[in-house]
Amino acid sequence: MTFAKRYLHLSHLLFIVLLLIQLLPDKSTKDVFTSSLITFAVAFEVIVLAASAFIKKEEGLSLLLDISGFIFVVLTLWSLATAKFNILNDLLFPAPGKVIHQFAEDSDKIYTNIKSSLGTTLKGFLIAVAVAVPLGLFIGWSARIGSAATYITKFFSSIPPIVYIPYGIALLPTFKSVSVFVIFLATFWPVFAGTMSGVLGVDKKIIDSAKVLNVSKPEMLFRVILPASLQQIFLGCNQGLSVSFILLTSAEMIGARDGMGYYVKYYSDFGDYTRTITGLLVIGFVVIAVTFLFNKLQNRLLRWKR
Amino acid sequence: MTTNKIEIKDLTVNYIENKKSFNALHDVSFGVGKGEFVSVIGASGCGKSTLLSVLEGLYTPAGGSVQIDGKELHGTGTERGVVFQHYSLFPWMTTRKNIEFGIKQSRHDIKRSERAKIADEFLTKVGLTGFGSKYPSQLSGGMQQRAAIARALAMDTEILLMDEPFSAIDAKNRVILQDLLLKLWEGDGTEERKTVVFVTHDIDEAILLSDKIVVLTAHPGTVNEVVNVPFDRPRRREELVKTDEYGKFRNKLMSLLYNDIAERIGGDEVVL
Repeated sequence: MTFAKRYLHLSHLLFIVLLLIQLLPDKSTKDVFTSSLITFAVAFEVIVLAASAFIKKEEGLSLLLDISGFIFVVLTLWSLATAKFNILNDLLFPAPGKVIHQFAEDSDKIYTNIKSSLGTTLKGFLIAVAVAVPLGLFIGWSARIGSAATYITKFFSSIPPIVYIPYGIALLPTFKSVSVFVIFLATFWPVFAGTMSGVLGVDKKIIDSAKVLNVSKPEMLFRVILPASLQQIFLGCNQGLSVSFILLTSAEMIGARDGMGYYVKYYSDFGDYTRTITGLLVIGFVVIAVTFLFNKLQNRLLRWKR
Repeated sequence: MTTNKIEIKDLTVNYIENKKSFNALHDVSFGVGKGEFVSVIGASGCGKSTLLSVLEGLYTPAGGSVQIDGKELHGTGTERGVVFQHYSLFPWMTTRKNIEFGIKQSRHDIKRSERAKIADEFLTKVGLTGFGSKYPSQLSGGMQQRAAIARALAMDTEILLMDEPFSAIDAKNRVILQDLLLKLWEGDGTEERKTVVFVTHDIDEAILLSDKIVVLTAHPGTVNEVVNVPFDRPRRREELVKTDEYGKFRNKLMSLLYNDIAERIGGDEVVL
């Protein structure tokens, strides 16, 4: 890639525009923490520049720069509408610098809440996968003819898991365990269904070629059927994961004492919309990060597919 | 007592489809000598692949028997190496791992640490040096079949069963693969040749490779005739196809294959 392709991009111009805008006088009566915004923007730009020096693929680089450009545009418009011209109600719409400042100030609290949220999700999700996959393999393999299990699964997976919450609260001792239970259910059925449909869809030719190699029963299940149905299993996992986040945050808003859903709910009850927006953005980033890592894992385990 | 490695007697196979049973193979009998290369040819639907499934142990016959070394055949076994038309290799394992897996299944005397070395030796034999860490999806169809042959050979079985292994390969590569298989199987005469049952619908392929050709007739599949191939080994395609005998022999097989079709459609003669 040429130097121009690497470093000359609209995104960098937008970064400069964002900085220039900050020279305008503030109209808002409240403290808008312009310095926090500038610090963030500069740090972000430095990271983008550093990354563009290392990225090898042209598409990857232009994607990064398009996204960073979009972020600078949003920050510019947001800045203009709040701090600079005070068009929006400054109680409901905090200035970007304020949100960034709040994030820095609350970082310890946010970190504990993220840890709690991720811990709960991971627990429910991993237990569900650990139970659903082997069970799906066994039942799918033994019921290759009768597919009653498929219909039963369809019934249970059609119940929106959120309606289990009240019953879960009655059944289980702590609110944490309710969250884990609901996430377990939300993940279990799609993963179980995905595994079974994966098993049922394994090409008979693959099974024949395993049979002529005289593989043992456990080997047939875990070294042949499991990898052959891995793509379907991941489909179920993806579905489970995205529903898990919805459920977790809803559950946390109902009655938890920590977690990101709790953070958002708690502060919006007090009318602290700076923290509310901070919380919303953090949740977005966390979900994107988890999804990204999960997709990496998926691509790694399915690298043998073209 | 018979000295055949594989003895097929009065084999009958019924297929059940849509609750109707139909006769796929009827009273099929023939023997395969030790170290012999036998091809089974016939029009599609004549049951030649079904016959091989029985030998692989994947299909239980309705009647008759299959004996290997005088012992009744029961189910699958790693004393028989198999090459299919598709998916002989597991797509989630690299070619080396696929071969190692085959070795693990059939040769318990080989240590884990030696498997990779043997796998690479056989990859070299089939012309796939350096492709050990590729996945099957990264290889062409012809290369996948080379790897499948490498695995079957690395398993060091006395019997090799091949079910139309080259049918899905383009014409040019098919010729290359046939020559490779011929060379590997004939060897340099120092090692004992494997006993091969090879299913194909390609007459030239059958003649080039086989000692003996079993011609099947369809509906139900029965043995029309077992023909000995009268050409000396080692065979070379270029020399073989030039001889008059080759043309005559090929015509004889053609008439065996197509007379049957003529009878079925009711005409006296079929112009091809």
